[in-house]
Amino acid sequence: MSNRQSFRSRFVRDFMMNKYLYIMMIPVIGYYLIFHYGPMYGAIIAFKDYSPMKGILGSDWVGLKHFEEFFNSYYFLRVLKNTLLISLYTLLFEFPAPIILALLINEVRKRTFKRVVQTITYMPYFISLVVICGIITDFTNADGLINRLIMMLGYDGQAMLQKPELFRPIYVLSEIWQRIGWESIIYIAALMSIDLEQYEAAKIDGASRLKQMFHITLPGLLPIITIMFILRMGNMLNVGFEKIILLYNPVTYETADVISSFVYRKGLLEFGWSFSSAVGLFNSVINLVLLISANYISRRVSQNSLW
Amino acid sequence: MKRKVLSTSLMILLLGTTILGCSSGDSKTGDADKGTPSGSTEATTYPIQTDKTLTYWGEINGNLIGVKNSHSEIPFFQKWQEKTGVPLKFTAPPTGQVRESFNVMLASGDLPDMLEYNFIGDFPGGPEKAINDGYILKLNDLIDQYAPNLKKYLQDNPDIDKMVKTDSGSYYVFPFIRGDEYLRVFQGPIIRKDWLDELGLPVPETIDEWTTTLRAFKEKKGAAAPFSVVSKPRFFNDSGNGAFLGAFGVNRGFYQEDGQIKFGPAEEGFKEYLTLFQEWYKEGLIDKNISTADTKSVDGNLASGATGASVGNAGGGIGKWQPLVEANDPDAVLVAAPYPVLNKGDIPKFGQLNQGYASEGTVAITTAAKDPELAVRMLDYGYSEEGHMFFNFGEEGVSYNMEGDYPKFTDLLLKNPDKLAPAQAISLYARSSYNGPFVQDKRYAEQFFALQTQRDAIDIWKNTQAAKYNLPSITPTPEESSEYATIMNDINTLVDEMTIKIILGNESVDQFESYVAKMKSLHLDRAIEIQTAALERYNNR
Repeated sequence: MSNRQSFRSRFVRDFMMNKYLYIMMIPVIGYYLIFHYGPMYGAIIAFKDYSPMKGILGSDWVGLKHFEEFFNSYYFLRVLKNTLLISLYTLLFEFPAPIILALLINEVRKRTFKRVVQTITYMPYFISLVVICGIITDFTNADGLINRLIMMLGYDGQAMLQKPELFRPIYVLSEIWQRIGWESIIYIAALMSIDLEQYEAAKIDGASRLKQMFHITLPGLLPIITIMFILRMGNMLNVGFEKIILLYNPVTYETADVISSFVYRKGLLEFGWSFSSAVGLFNSVINLVLLISANYISRRVSQNSLW
Repeated sequence: MKRKVLSTSLMILLLGTTILGCSSGDSKTGDADKGTPSGSTEATTYPIQTDKTLTYWGEINGNLIGVKNSHSEIPFFQKWQEKTGVPLKFTAPPTGQVRESFNVMLASGDLPDMLEYNFIGDFPGGPEKAINDGYILKLNDLIDQYAPNLKKYLQDNPDIDKMVKTDSGSYYVFPFIRGDEYLRVFQGPIIRKDWLDELGLPVPETIDEWTTTLRAFKEKKGAAAPFSVVSKPRFFNDSGNGAFLGAFGVNRGFYQEDGQIKFGPAEEGFKEYLTLFQEWYKEGLIDKNISTADTKSVDGNLASGATGASVGNAGGGIGKWQPLVEANDPDAVLVAAPYPVLNKGDIPKFGQLNQGYASEGTVAITTAAKDPELAVRMLDYGYSEEGHMFFNFGEEGVSYNMEGDYPKFTDLLLKNPDKLAPAQAISLYARSSYNGPFVQDKRYAEQFFALQTQRDAIDIWKNTQAAKYNLPSITPTPEESSEYATIMNDINTLVDEMTIKIILGNESVDQFESYVAKMKSLHLDRAIEIQTAALERYNNR
């Protein structure tokens, strides 16, 4: 009791001193309350048979029915497997790509060349996804650009988006192409903050450029890489479904159909609000578990963590 | 410990932001009897004197994409308000996202007065459920009192009346009615006549003739994709009505035969169809990009001469493609081919044939409507004599002139000075070329199909037995609807996969039986049971 009292008096004193700072915080807190915490109340509908006319509170409770329906669905395992695999491949191949690009750009001494490379690589990030997918579809057509090149080398062309085994590579490669430049910006910024004297010292000690990279640049980048990695883990299952939906078709369902596209087909188009939010909740819980474990492991291993 | 709990729950809250959020929405209770019953039908004189504005939600016709952006810019909708005297405020979903937008609108609980939507095809659970869930009004009493024109039409046409009602006898929309047999058939196989003539081939009638023809197109005309069909959103989208499939006695959905309901993709005929198409694909007679072919790529293939045969509409197919192929090859002529059969002289079992009552473009009145009586009187206009002319032909003196007693479209529509295609220009001034709350007039089509090939096409395509085998528009009961939707969702995914994998040769035709077994394990029998019961209820209406 006395503790709370003292907290209150401390708070009041602090508030009087930093009035304006507190006032400035209001919009930020308001934003989170209204747009992030508020809607979460809607998650209740995962456990109800939601009908807009009855309202969230008025709808009937159905317990775990929607979760059971999802887990028992004929396609559940396939969808889960695809989601995990696509996430995993993206993590393995797309995550390191901007780091490598940043390192390479860092080694370039010519400023104009550096600028040009950066601009070109981050350009795709600003193109609308629909256009990107249009480009991908055209390029991978049976008589598209990529197939023409392959045919010039003497192999047979094929409609690549019709091959289930090619879907994931196409997805991941295009993901790299889209994001490499944009994501490298943060690493390039981090590289700026590395003390130049360390390089001077290393040079005097006779370290080659490769050695400098491994012993100064990379360790300098490590904290930011870890943070980015942990954040990525929290988004692991949120595979960009717009892109999947734009690229897949029934032949490639077996490798392309992910949780979110499945929910889109089944939930949104069939007006299954409760079903969709049940799956959304399931998705978020797994993401949360992944995030917490990544953070925990990272804190144990490298003393580097989000919290 | 406490802090840990707090921070964990905070994290849950933070991450939970991806969860679908919903506003609670005012719960409104359906109240069908807002108007005071007066016993007898009142005739309405137009324009109605009112100071109320009604809200109207509906899609803008696809023909007008790139021409006009909103309802308020389209002359038809401006005039409609003038003629009925009721000011309207329109909202339109983005094209191609009608279903998603509709879904979001329902979930928000914020409904307009009137909804133009397909309640049979695109509302899970069908119209009965839409009424029971309290979205739209049951219109029986309102039509009785305030919609004399529609009421009279339905009384005079009991066969249409049966389709417009639900199983329990509720009216739920102001329907779109195809007023003549001639308007119910508009789609089928289309082929390059000039190529056939050049190669000395007849218009193919049997499957064997088709094989010969496509082979000749490939070998002698250098067609890279002799046969190509739009595959979006569903594989072989326009074949679903029975093109090619019909030769083997099946279609892509449910049909009735000998008093039983059957599901096409689970029948033996479907296997023969798959066998044929697998061979065609292997031989290069079908577009190599067939599973990703959308409207744009099929248009392109036809225009460039890579494709010589497809399936399409008289208006949106022949009408659209003829100028495209001509631009590239002045001698090119597209004509309709009959729905294929196995033996010469047979009548194909399936082909496109729509119902007299089309469930799209129908208008419902929501439970949120401020003044249902006014909305009903306003919508009844389309079924009056004056409204009939206005909906079909637009305004006299502007979009049509009477020649004797025949309404003739003016050059503003048929040879538009702004270079709009007739389909586009007609959509600006009338609704006859698509749909809406009115009875469609045959005389529109006679002029809309400007080419003789288009008019002939209807006669060629209508020669099928579809009327006998097609199901009427039946719906499961609200209780069964979610079960039915779940089953069919899984089965349709499976059929789409099976069809395309076998045709592309990723899997052998021998897999067909195991697919059918899978359909059974996904409760196909239960779906058939639900459909059978629904058909029985329909017949008892």
